[in-house]
Amino acid sequence: MTDDDGDQINRVGRGSMSFVPRIRRQTDYNTYPPSIPIVIDNGASYFRIGWAGETEPRVVFRNIVQRPRHKATGETVTIVGDLDPALMKYFDCTRSGPRSPFDSNVVYQFEIMEYILDFAFDRLGANGSRIDHPILITECACNPVQSRSKMAELLFETYGVPAVAFGVDAAFSYKYNQLHGICKEDGIVLCPGFTTTHAIPFVDGEPVYKGSCRTNIGGYHVTDYLKQLLSLKYPFHSSRFTWEKAEDLKLEHCYIAPDYASEVRLFQEGTKEAEEKTRYWQLPWIPPPTEVPPSEEEIARKAAIREKQGQRLREMAEAKKLSKINEMESELSSLRFLVKQLDQVEEDDIPTFLSDTGYASRQELESTILKVTQSLRKARGEPMNEPSEIEENTDSLNNEKYPLMNIPDDMLTPEQLKDKKRQMFLKSTTEGRLRARQKRNEEELEKERRNQLEEERRRENPEFYLEEMRAQYKEVLERVEQKKRLKTNGSSNGNNKSGGVGRGERLSAAQRERMRLLTTAAFDRGKGEDTFGARDEDWQLYKLMSKDNDDDDEQPDSDEAELARLTSRLQEIDPTFVQKVEGENQTPGEVPRVRQLTEEDYKIVIGIERFRCPEILFHPNLVGIEQVGLDEMAGASIRRLPHEETELEEKKLTSSILMTGGCSLLPGMKERLEYGIRMIRPCGDPIIVVRAMDPVLDAWRGASAFAANLNF
Amino acid sequence: MEGELMEADVVVSSRLSFKKIQSSEKYPKGQSTRRWKHLKQILQSENCTPDLPNYVNIESPPSTQPCKRICDVTGFEAPYVDPRTNLRYANAHVFKTLRSLSPDQVHQYLSIRNAAVVLK
Repeated sequence: MTDDDGDQINRVGRGSMSFVPRIRRQTDYNTYPPSIPIVIDNGASYFRIGWAGETEPRVVFRNIVQRPRHKATGETVTIVGDLDPALMKYFDCTRSGPRSPFDSNVVYQFEIMEYILDFAFDRLGANGSRIDHPILITECACNPVQSRSKMAELLFETYGVPAVAFGVDAAFSYKYNQLHGICKEDGIVLCPGFTTTHAIPFVDGEPVYKGSCRTNIGGYHVTDYLKQLLSLKYPFHSSRFTWEKAEDLKLEHCYIAPDYASEVRLFQEGTKEAEEKTRYWQLPWIPPPTEVPPSEEEIARKAAIREKQGQRLREMAEAKKLSKINEMESELSSLRFLVKQLDQVEEDDIPTFLSDTGYASRQELESTILKVTQSLRKARGEPMNEPSEIEENTDSLNNEKYPLMNIPDDMLTPEQLKDKKRQMFLKSTTEGRLRARQKRNEEELEKERRNQLEEERRRENPEFYLEEMRAQYKEVLERVEQKKRLKTNGSSNGNNKSGGVGRGERLSAAQRERMRLLTTAAFDRGKGEDTFGARDEDWQLYKLMSKDNDDDDEQPDSDEAELARLTSRLQEIDPTFVQKVEGENQTPGEVPRVRQLTEEDYKIVIGIERFRCPEILFHPNLVGIEQVGLDEMAGASIRRLPHEETELEEKKLTSSILMTGGCSLLPGMKERLEYGIRMIRPCGDPIIVVRAMDPVLDAWRGASAFAANLNF
Repeated sequence: MEGELMEADVVVSSRLSFKKIQSSEKYPKGQSTRRWKHLKQILQSENCTPDLPNYVNIESPPSTQPCKRICDVTGFEAPYVDPRTNLRYANAHVFKTLRSLSPDQVHQYLSIRNAAVVLK
């Protein structure tokens, strides 16, 4: 038999947040006779089950179910409650997020409910062919009939329960506290729960549901708000802010400010109190291995090593030079010997004589001698009279190598013409090289001169010079950045309205040009036939297009070179100069990684969030929910009470206001409620707000007491 | 199953003695995603008399107090609104950070407040 009109009390509470360890199966199931009811507190956050008449529920766990696949066998298993992270490795949890049977505070997924009940009864030690005990289960206030009937169906048909009763958890909690004298017969219970908050008035010890009201905000929303705020504030660490972590933070650090505006002002002005109220959470951070400035001995040692190495190299070079000199000397002497021999030989025998040695004529021989002496002198390190010698050489070489140059064309045979062409080519290349070298020398001299000028200017007027440089630098930087921006179509700043939808790209000039060319090429000239490509000039189109792209790349080079020069200059002379790195302007969403990540970056500051998040309980429109907050709910509920029933004294109601539910554990709630309710009640009314003895477990206890008393 | 898992006993076994109908029979494989009615649908199909309190009846009314305006980013009092993004901000310093947010973040800030425009 169901107890529909009985005490319907709402209970959506939360338990302790510490990870619930593995629940041992209870062993004393059989010691309880079938008349003892089982009491279930079915909350959106936690599920509590136990025996009637006791003060503590036997089994408590979080009301969620996961169905991961077992990695080894591949079958899908069901796990209820929090999963020990150590055991997670056995399961493939990708497709199984935690699922709850609740939608807001109403049960709608009965398959999951069944798994949960399975687990609960199993842990309670149930055995036998059916559950033999009557069950008292809690639900939300004014539970829709469908949900209730399905729950009853589940219990009766699947578990074979003999009797079922439903109750509202907030009412249970109130009655329990009334028993213990904390609140009076008439009063209001305010129950901020996990997903919803209820305010239910009590008259003569009975809850009046007509006057109750419910706001769809609860602990879940507070945690969610905290999580989102932190993720947005620290996008770099957003993976750290899991829902569980946010809940832990909330439990530890959140409080309710007696007056939001004044608290905020404290923080805004940065007072010392604000500083005290801020909490820091330091994430683990390993600093990159800093380079310890080498100690003196190390420096000395390194210098010594380097010197030794240098010494060795020098010695090797010396040795090589010596050997080379020796070689050349020997060669020279042999050549001279040869020349002397040549003198002795007669004119006609020269070619045959020389054919052994590999030299064609006497002149060649002499030129080789000259070369060797030259290199010898160089090796010995004697200063050479460069230009004149080179000139001499080139002249003589010219005359030798290019004997055909000076003879006009018509006097030569075709073969000789070919030779002449070759010689001309050679000559021009060597001359070109010479000219290039000269030009480089000149340029260097020029640069030197300019540098000296600048140095002088700097010495005269250091401040002014610095300013000039800085201004120049800024200008050039601007230009370069702009060009870059144009080129890469950066437009993250430009298109905020559409929120990223639509084309955020502006085509650069080059791309636009290309498009234009392509479209004109593809344009059907009305002849009905595509004649592109028939004429050769059409293909020039592609050349144009690619050239456009190339041009773009060349232009900024001059600017960039200028920029580089200025930066180096500034770095030398300006001690306060900091190179502006490009990364800072582009994507501000991510941390500019160019600067070293310091310990500071890993410190999460939780200052204002501490009281900003629970504030939504009092002002749900901060998160967009258009309903009254906690303090006004009391007023609304009083207003709704039908007045014709009894001679109500509203004062009686407000003098006994009970807070239960998990969220009421937040510090500062009591003062805030008093203050809030005082604002909406007429002046002088007694307002007493009390907190339940144990906001979390009181509902279960109340239900247990109720079940023990009532005969089902 | 591994010994450790058995030891931990976290898994709900598929055959429980006290159940008349086992889950595996009730929800044969492949059909497990049965369509359960969501809360909205349940409420719609409910036969509610306006006299007696029911789930919809006891909803709270909207607030009569003036809406509190706090800055989306910092939480301070925010008298100003950015016309481009519709975010609230407290002072010029915050405004600068506002303008440098990416569209994603702007969207998220707005959706916290339930004020985001979702373009489908």
